[in-house]
Amino acid sequence: MSGITLTRKHKNALSSLLRMGLNLPLVILIILPLIYTFIMSVIPADELYTRLLPTRWDFVSYLNVFEKTGIPRQILNSFVVAGSVTLLQMITCSMAAFAFSFLQFKGRNLVFMIILATMMVPWEATIISNYLTVSGWGWLDSYKAMILPYACSAMGIFLMRQNYLTFARELHEAAKLDGCNNWRFLLSIVIPLARPALGALGAYVFLLQWNQYLWPLLVTNSDKVRTAQIGISQLYDIDSEQIGLMMAGVVVVLVPSLSIFVFMQKQLINGLMAGAVKG
Amino acid sequence: MKKLVALLLVLLLAASGLTAFAEGDKINVVFWYSLGGTNADVIKEMVGEFNASQDKIFVDAQYQGEYDDAINKLKATSMGEALPFDIVQSYEIGSRFIIDSKKMVPVQTYIDKTGFDTSVIEPNLLAYYTIDGIINSVPFNCSTPLMYYNKTLFDEAGITEVPTTVDGILEIAPKLATFNADGTLDRAGFTFSNYGWFFEQWTGKMGRQYVNNGNGRESYATAVAFDENGAALDLFNMWKKISESKYTTYMERGGTGQSRAAFVAGKTAIFLASTANLAGVLANVGDSFEVGTAYFPYVNADDKGGVSTGGGTLWMVDSGDEARMDASWEFIQYMINPENQAVWNARTGYFPINMKAHDTEVFKENITKFPQFQTALDQLHDSGPEYVGSLLSVFPEVRQYVEDVTEEVFLKGLSPEEAVTKLTNLANDAIEMYNLTNY
Repeated sequence: MSGITLTRKHKNALSSLLRMGLNLPLVILIILPLIYTFIMSVIPADELYTRLLPTRWDFVSYLNVFEKTGIPRQILNSFVVAGSVTLLQMITCSMAAFAFSFLQFKGRNLVFMIILATMMVPWEATIISNYLTVSGWGWLDSYKAMILPYACSAMGIFLMRQNYLTFARELHEAAKLDGCNNWRFLLSIVIPLARPALGALGAYVFLLQWNQYLWPLLVTNSDKVRTAQIGISQLYDIDSEQIGLMMAGVVVVLVPSLSIFVFMQKQLINGLMAGAVKG
Repeated sequence: MKKLVALLLVLLLAASGLTAFAEGDKINVVFWYSLGGTNADVIKEMVGEFNASQDKIFVDAQYQGEYDDAINKLKATSMGEALPFDIVQSYEIGSRFIIDSKKMVPVQTYIDKTGFDTSVIEPNLLAYYTIDGIINSVPFNCSTPLMYYNKTLFDEAGITEVPTTVDGILEIAPKLATFNADGTLDRAGFTFSNYGWFFEQWTGKMGRQYVNNGNGRESYATAVAFDENGAALDLFNMWKKISESKYTTYMERGGTGQSRAAFVAGKTAIFLASTANLAGVLANVGDSFEVGTAYFPYVNADDKGGVSTGGGTLWMVDSGDEARMDASWEFIQYMINPENQAVWNARTGYFPINMKAHDTEVFKENITKFPQFQTALDQLHDSGPEYVGSLLSVFPEVRQYVEDVTEEVFLKGLSPEEAVTKLTNLANDAIEMYNLTNY
């Protein structure tokens, strides 16, 4: 007879305690910069360098972000750009992936390989030629210059195709037997089934676009179409720092991308799992 | 799905509806600037006032990222047909690159055309941008390095003579430093920022040249000069001396922001930074202690050199459109007129590049409020045009190398001799590569 027997309940409690013990320090490590950013944004200027926590809260920096900078308009622009790119990629990638997984045609694998190969070329290597193309079309300083070059991505096609491959081929055959054409099959069977992957793709693409800096800076000139990341850098100057304003701007711009994480968390994790089963 | 497509179409339509706006039949001048924060607010206000002051020209001021970003954008756009701007603000070390791009018109052309009197411009600032005898661009936001010290601490320690050399600083550092109970430094006597700009400034302070061919001014530089004239060795020896002193701290690379933060918080007694920091430092320090300013220190006691300008300058694009170029020059003249330069100086801490600004009320009021600024002006006037500073196409890269190697001297114990060899090789390779592809 053993001295101490652990019931299943106890075991669960112990393991979750252990998990907490491991995760909590990591959480603190990751979240601390965010909290510090927030504190820096509300600390009064004269306490900025001398105190870790403010004696009084000062939200004037936030007021300034909304009243004196272009950030509100730029956040709207970021939404337009990142939102359009996300929608476009969800459409194009799910359609292209459909062709690469359900349809049989000559050279299918070759074309797919070529598309994958484009992932190996770093974006920076083509940035000048892309700029010349876009400027040659007179697209500079417009939303479309930021949106259309990103309308499709090899990464997205790959992600969606891997997901489709987990579906039984019989589905397609059965649908065809019942007289369902490819469009209808894609829209009413494949897309609903692939929702988790599509959601993951959407969240991933949105975040990526939201954080774009170099390309939007290159192709835009006026504040009318500029995105929030450029607005942030505009708050910085090596010789005239306004830490409070900068940090308040960062917090404001962070909110949308953080909320994407909060709301899309389930989708993101589902998407990762979907890829993991048959990767 | 239909909803998605509809939404997308709406977004795209909205996008195409928003086109760049032009102001009636005025001449449109596009001005690219690279200042952020409060300095950008001042620029925008000045541009707004210019636009309101007359009805022929409309200046569209567009922020283009930091100087490095703007230079990258300039590289990209200069491969296209016409540059999408008329005036660009760039940093002093971008000058050779911009000249090599062959897209600019020297402002000398317009100075001659309109008979603009250049004698009102600070000669030591103008000298940097005078290349091959002609003025290429107009100095605009100019600064020099300055030494900031905590005067209250100096008084408490009984220090009456402010050091003029780095050795002098190291000598008084023990009197200013304090230690924690566990023996770590609580307040440093002196904080060193690893900022490539200081390497250039100190080379000038020693009266020596940074690159060959007359500091890159007689013709383009083909190699660095700081190895042969010993400037680099002297500096790395000084770095080593600073790193060996236990009364000093090494803070950061690529800027002076952290040293400034330490100084404001009373964690260091002396730090070096651009004159443009003065207003910010005074505002942050408030009443907690008295701030003193002194000349940027010499490396050796018998040095005879001076400081040169850092900061930015305004370039005019050779657009071929006479009306727009005339309008651009008109705008530049406005930006450097005495009244605007006085306001610019008071609000940003950059030098008033127009000496007539000294007679304005705004300037007089500012100098009474911040007497520390007089040191910056005196230092500028005491320096000579012969220490004007160098021109180098790959300056931004070389500055990075200087900071890399300095870091190794401070943190990894690289010997000064090895540091000189390493830096020289890195810099000369970059120069050779650029020259092979561009000349």
